[in-house]
Amino acid sequence: MERIEHRQLGETLYYEELPNGLQVYVLPKPGFFKTYATFTTHYGSIDNHFQPPGKEAVRVPDGIAHFLEHKMFEKEDGDVFQHFAAQGASANAFTSFDRTAYLFSCTDQVEANLTTLLDFVQTPYFTEAGVEKEKGIIGQEIRMYEDNPDWRSYFGLIESLYHRHPVRIDIAGTVESIAEITKDTLYLCYETFYHPGNMLLFVVGPVDPEKIINLVRENQAGKTFSRQEEIERFFPEEPDSVANRRNEIRLSVGISKCLFGFKERNIGLTGDSYLKQETATELVLEALFGPGSDLYQSLYDDGLIDENFFFDYSLEKGYGYSCIGGDTPDPDALLNRVQEEVPRILEKGISEEVFERIRKKRLGQVLRALNSPEWIANQFTRYRFNQSDLFRLIPALEELTPDRVNRRLHEHIDLDRMAVSIVKPLEE
Amino acid sequence: MGQMPFETAAVGNVRVHVCPTEKFKTTTIAAMIQQELTPETVTKTALLPSVLQRGTVSHPSTLQLKRKLEDLYGATLHTEVFKRGERHIMHVGLEIANGRYLSESPKLLREGVAFLMEVLTRPVVEDGGFRRAYVEAEKKNLKQKIESLLDDKIRYAAQRCIAAMCDGEPFGLFVYGRTEDLPSIDPIQLYTYYRQVIETCPIDFFFVGNVSTDDAAALVRELFPYSEGERPPVEVNREQPTVKQVKEVVDRLDVIQGKLNMGCRTGVTIRDDDYVPLLMYNGILGGFPHSKLFMNVREKASLAYYASSRLESHKGILTIQSGIEIANYQKALDIIRKQLEAMRRGEITDRELSQTRATLSNQLRERQDRPYELIDFAYHSLLSGREWSLDQLLKGIESVDKEDVRRVAEQVQLDTIYFLRDKGGKSDGAH
Repeated sequence: MERIEHRQLGETLYYEELPNGLQVYVLPKPGFFKTYATFTTHYGSIDNHFQPPGKEAVRVPDGIAHFLEHKMFEKEDGDVFQHFAAQGASANAFTSFDRTAYLFSCTDQVEANLTTLLDFVQTPYFTEAGVEKEKGIIGQEIRMYEDNPDWRSYFGLIESLYHRHPVRIDIAGTVESIAEITKDTLYLCYETFYHPGNMLLFVVGPVDPEKIINLVRENQAGKTFSRQEEIERFFPEEPDSVANRRNEIRLSVGISKCLFGFKERNIGLTGDSYLKQETATELVLEALFGPGSDLYQSLYDDGLIDENFFFDYSLEKGYGYSCIGGDTPDPDALLNRVQEEVPRILEKGISEEVFERIRKKRLGQVLRALNSPEWIANQFTRYRFNQSDLFRLIPALEELTPDRVNRRLHEHIDLDRMAVSIVKPLEE
Repeated sequence: MGQMPFETAAVGNVRVHVCPTEKFKTTTIAAMIQQELTPETVTKTALLPSVLQRGTVSHPSTLQLKRKLEDLYGATLHTEVFKRGERHIMHVGLEIANGRYLSESPKLLREGVAFLMEVLTRPVVEDGGFRRAYVEAEKKNLKQKIESLLDDKIRYAAQRCIAAMCDGEPFGLFVYGRTEDLPSIDPIQLYTYYRQVIETCPIDFFFVGNVSTDDAAALVRELFPYSEGERPPVEVNREQPTVKQVKEVVDRLDVIQGKLNMGCRTGVTIRDDDYVPLLMYNGILGGFPHSKLFMNVREKASLAYYASSRLESHKGILTIQSGIEIANYQKALDIIRKQLEAMRRGEITDRELSQTRATLSNQLRERQDRPYELIDFAYHSLLSGREWSLDQLLKGIESVDKEDVRRVAEQVQLDTIYFLRDKGGKSDGAH
């Protein structure tokens, strides 16, 4: 067991890589009631074309990673939620583009719950009947998102930014695509991506790290896994340009939604350069579009945006983009203002004073986020899957310079790489 | 661990509640101001927090104010309004970093509290009212916020169901008020109203973080100028109307998924001895993924992705919500009614009872790990006038039996069935 101390933050992290390849991290949080654990595979909705070790390359139906996540909860003796409930835990799971995470939180019986988590994720039980039943439930989940304008506008933006990369496919798939899923395709995906060597366990809470790691070590030693081999994942060649400058749909909404974003040119980063690019880009977006920016305030004063205006930056190995926007009564007026203002900002750059202010803001935001066990576990896992380290965030912010942020400004904010997604109210 | 973690000190006519802890890397400060929820005041109250965060005497422009927050290491100013039974609560709060976790070790608490107090007590005033431009802009924003309820069909259906159920009762009002009130609100009248609120409504200050009760009380004493005089308690109507006939309401919009919402009167509130059995009732019926609603509507019948129930413990209302295929309306409704019937007959398995005990206790304990939830938990008790400590609740949950839950179930009356559906097809139902 390795011990990694982050003195400034007052946090100590414990780590061990088990013989089967599973990475185990424990972060003790004395004073907390809750223990939160995530068991995550580096496998998400974008992994739809791959070569399982020793087999032919396959293309699987859209939405299968998410479908698999749902089906992991069904077992021969019933539903795993029942076990967690009996042990006082609240369990859940989520699927993103790159990851599928299974999790629980509890304030009692940590060891029993942790054992349940490890065992249920490592014991697939898929049946034809179970698969068919789930199609109805996930069908309603898909319908729910179809009526959700925030989700629709977000996916509209990604579809506009990307020509071919599977990030543009809805995580849950479609009613048609999930119809093709069978228990055999689920097993194929499971066998390929749920090997311990492709997974990470993170436990945070008022726990004894040694006890936790011992429990996991023994649990894993009692199971046999084939030797993990390299999983080959295939992604289509993605053109540099945006697929579609503007995507517009109409839905039953009270007010229009307008999102815009820039397609990242600099992808494929890992380690500290991954984290530094992310941090610098977030500061760029804050400087341009944050509530302390001139642009934000003038848009707000003119009633073109409201307090829900936001920005966000996503960076993974194969793709990256920013997403900015919110509700607006007039999407075109908002976009015109942005397109007028951006060249001026590019010319002026971000001043040292602005840099200093937003850097401080970001430092405070990270400290606030570190109050949340959920945030720590999920973000730590994301950074690890990019060979980077969550606990480097504060030092990286403290090391950042105005020069670096200005370089990022010119690299990322490029009107030629901008796309727009609009949801308008229905025409009466 | 376990006891109510707040220590309370009186500073003049306001109360200061402090939870000194080193668990968090920030300090959270919240001012909670109570008013009666009434049709005459609901929109004005909802408008106040947004006007307050536009500017203060020292930071008169919104840009200056936002930049001040950024300089305070990204302190966040929270302003919101919410309902607790027939009270309308205004929350103005600040969460600020604890500087000891940063290399430059800034001392931030005093400055943060001073800033929050300035937002609360020294808004920009011109010609005897709030700044006109701010009021007009925030009226527009609030209108947009009220209208955008339509964008979130889950929330929309929930509010429409409550409005239909509590038609004529203050609780039916939407938390953000009514668009028709907005045109007549002017800056002077709003400011006069605000002075009355800040000077005479009950105020509670909460502090969670690495701060002592004495220091927190001293900061409030020094920086909050309105602690003299009277703050009469807010009196609310506690009558529980009886259900004569189940209301059925159908709304039609361009939606793909139908939303089935139901409202029940439970006859029990947070002030009653049966509060814990009511929590258990809700947990067994629909509070968790092992509950009857989730198991029967989703897992067995495969009709929905979500199917759950929720309590409003001050008003004693239980709501049920589910998203379904429109054609499955009757099927889903029948299954849900069957679950309510089963509860009434006391058909509860030992497993349901023990699972709900365990998950409900877990849920209550987990709330102690989030600053705002700690505050919310304590504030529920304060508002109800009946203090429930965490330990009392946990002990209560352990000792509740099926008979207690059945006793509550007998009083639960279905009041309203609400269905949000598409525009096509034949019209059925009222509205």
